[in-house]
Amino acid sequence: MFDKQKFSEWYDQNYKILLIIPLILVIASIAFIVSFYVKTGDIMNKDVSLKGGTSITINGNVDVSVLEKNLPSYFPDVGFRKLTEVTTGEQVAVIIETSAGPDEIKSKITELRVILTDENSSIEFTGPSLSANFYKQLMFALFLSFVLMSCVIFILFRSFIPSIAVIFAALSDIIIPLAILDFLNIQISSAGIAAFLMLIGYSVDTDILLTTRALKKKEGSLNHRIFGAFSTGILMTGTALAAVLPAFFLISGLPDSFRQIFLILAMGLVTDIISTWMTNASIIKWYCHSKNIK
Amino acid sequence: MKITWKIWLLAIVLVLSFLAIAPWHYLDSGVLIKSVEKNSTAYDSGIRAGMILQSINGQTFKDLAEYNAYISKNFISNNSQKLITNTNQGEFIFLSDKLEIVVTEVPNSNLKTGLDLSGGARALVKASNASLTKDQVNDLVSITTERLNAFGLNDVAIKSVSDLSGENYMLIEIAGSTTAELKDLLESQGKFEAKIGEDIVFIGGDRDITYVGVSGQDAGIYSCNQGSNGYYCEFRFVISLSEKAAQKQADVTSNLSVNLSSGGKYLEKPLDLYVDNNILDTLQIGADLRGRATTSIQISGSGSGATQQDAYKDAQANMKKLQTILKTGSLPYKLEIVKLDAISPALGKEFTKNLIYLALSVFAIISVILLVRYRKMKITGAVILTMFSEALITLAVATLLKQNLDASSIAGIIAGMGTGVNDQIVILSESFNKEDTNIKIRERIKRALFVIMGAFFTIIAAMLPLFWAGAGMLRGFALTTIIGVTVGILITRPAFMDIIEQIKGD
Repeated sequence: MFDKQKFSEWYDQNYKILLIIPLILVIASIAFIVSFYVKTGDIMNKDVSLKGGTSITINGNVDVSVLEKNLPSYFPDVGFRKLTEVTTGEQVAVIIETSAGPDEIKSKITELRVILTDENSSIEFTGPSLSANFYKQLMFALFLSFVLMSCVIFILFRSFIPSIAVIFAALSDIIIPLAILDFLNIQISSAGIAAFLMLIGYSVDTDILLTTRALKKKEGSLNHRIFGAFSTGILMTGTALAAVLPAFFLISGLPDSFRQIFLILAMGLVTDIISTWMTNASIIKWYCHSKNIK
Repeated sequence: MKITWKIWLLAIVLVLSFLAIAPWHYLDSGVLIKSVEKNSTAYDSGIRAGMILQSINGQTFKDLAEYNAYISKNFISNNSQKLITNTNQGEFIFLSDKLEIVVTEVPNSNLKTGLDLSGGARALVKASNASLTKDQVNDLVSITTERLNAFGLNDVAIKSVSDLSGENYMLIEIAGSTTAELKDLLESQGKFEAKIGEDIVFIGGDRDITYVGVSGQDAGIYSCNQGSNGYYCEFRFVISLSEKAAQKQADVTSNLSVNLSSGGKYLEKPLDLYVDNNILDTLQIGADLRGRATTSIQISGSGSGATQQDAYKDAQANMKKLQTILKTGSLPYKLEIVKLDAISPALGKEFTKNLIYLALSVFAIISVILLVRYRKMKITGAVILTMFSEALITLAVATLLKQNLDASSIAGIIAGMGTGVNDQIVILSESFNKEDTNIKIRERIKRALFVIMGAFFTIIAAMLPLFWAGAGMLRGFALTTIIGVTVGILITRPAFMDIIEQIKGD
């Protein structure tokens, strides 16, 4: 049986140690992203919408072995990705990506006798200058979004340490998922960066809940208030995950960019459990002790 | 149960949203008239774009497929027939050998589905080697609209967009079109010039060309022949010049002498037709036309292909393109397509179907979680009702703002629903907190509101920059998220608080 009293005592003694775990994760993530940057020249693996090129999606269980064999000699950077049905594992589409223009790759595919019509395929082309511009602007938007969010948090709490704790938690929610995406070599699209922006807004509500309960509520002990916030916050994160996970695990046949938004939101929400209830909660508790808030 | 004004407000907004979306159009049968050829008998009888055509001569059709089947069966000969057409705005009777209208499927509702759902092509365009001002892009938008309409593409949405760095673009979306067509029409500037020697006699556009023949005796493919590399088909159509252009031609030809090697039949210099500085055709000018102001000119050209059918199609496409250029004149800039996407309509249908499954599974999973946590059907019902209301009102506002629903804007709606549920959990947690009974419910709701308002402002702050970044390509995502959370704060959340108080009272 879970002993609340004992846990509370353990928490009082160890909360500063709990702070170390997310800190290690953040530092490891930053180190990984830096090494990724040194290796590739960028902090993320960009897809064609951000680095320029063409992406062709051919629907259905099309045999593309002839393309896999022959296309690389004409387009050295060509890549293939097969999308499969979650439950049956059957191929539902194949995505072909290259930095070449749409006409060149399309004519080569047709030459290799793979049927490509407006009905069975979708095509996405982004010119190199536009994609570079897109990427720069989206990164700036991400930065701006973070700054604006920070301003809102400062205005809301009007005290330095609790605000910084929330902002640090939001930063972890971006950095850790980004490192995981880099580690898994997942290509990020422009919609993916939009998901990071969304994450900034999405993940801080549990932090606001925690900080408000800890600082503004007067009833019960501090631990009691933090635990109360935890049980509400976990339910919030749980339902938020329930809103975003089916798009990734349950339903297939959704556009790739759409699924990526939900993948990144889900990663951020899971990270948020650690960053809110380990990092932020520990900092708030420390702060309350130093300010004699009980 | 006492229905407070906040609950009334929610109910009224829900009804208005339902009216704005108008899903009952799903039941409509017939086809929507997109455009009617001016000067046609159909136009003269009073048929206009926007009407829903339900039957012709007593034959009804449910959808576009049935309409097309009817047209291909009943309009084969060139004989005029009496046509009794029934539309949603009354009956129109006229005589004609063909129906000079462009139709499309009747939309299921007022929702504007973007390319991801309905399929089609999208291009983001800028002037190559030049940076355009907002006004210049707006001019470009109207000229391009005219060109695409003249080509017969009617389901087009063209607008100017700008990005964070101040660069202006033109964004074109065409339902059911292909990238090849779009590319062809945009990448050729379409500068048409008719020259005699170095003198420009007339150019494309309605200043010099008053009429371009497109059908009947005025235009057509008149011969197909086999060549060494396949087949060639030739097209021909007539144009009328303005009096000023005809006079210019007369002035230039009056200085020419007759080419004696042709047996005195032609003048020494021909009329050369250029499109984008490439020669299209050379027309010999009859000696008798010297110094005469002729307004009628016959233009010809050709198309080629591996089979006769391919060559015929190519000639037809080339003729249509040239007619378009002659009607609308050249684009003011050489354009560069910086982004070009095409989504197959089949994929769009699949996406729509899966979205419905997705919405159902999200509702189901959240219901189960809340039932397990609160063990009360009423509370779960209230949360789900609020979520559904938010999604519906967001869709209605997006419809009123004429926002095309694409994949990212739907993702925004779902994400907005997610934050909505979070807010409701904060409210529930404050109102059902058994341990703090000495604090009044109003006080607790006030505290919940602080958290909710904080979360609201951070979402708005986080999404605002997306409005401008990347030429607004992700604006839909930001817009639907912001609408969703705003609807939550202003309408659904207050009603939810009152509903919860009522449930507690019970």
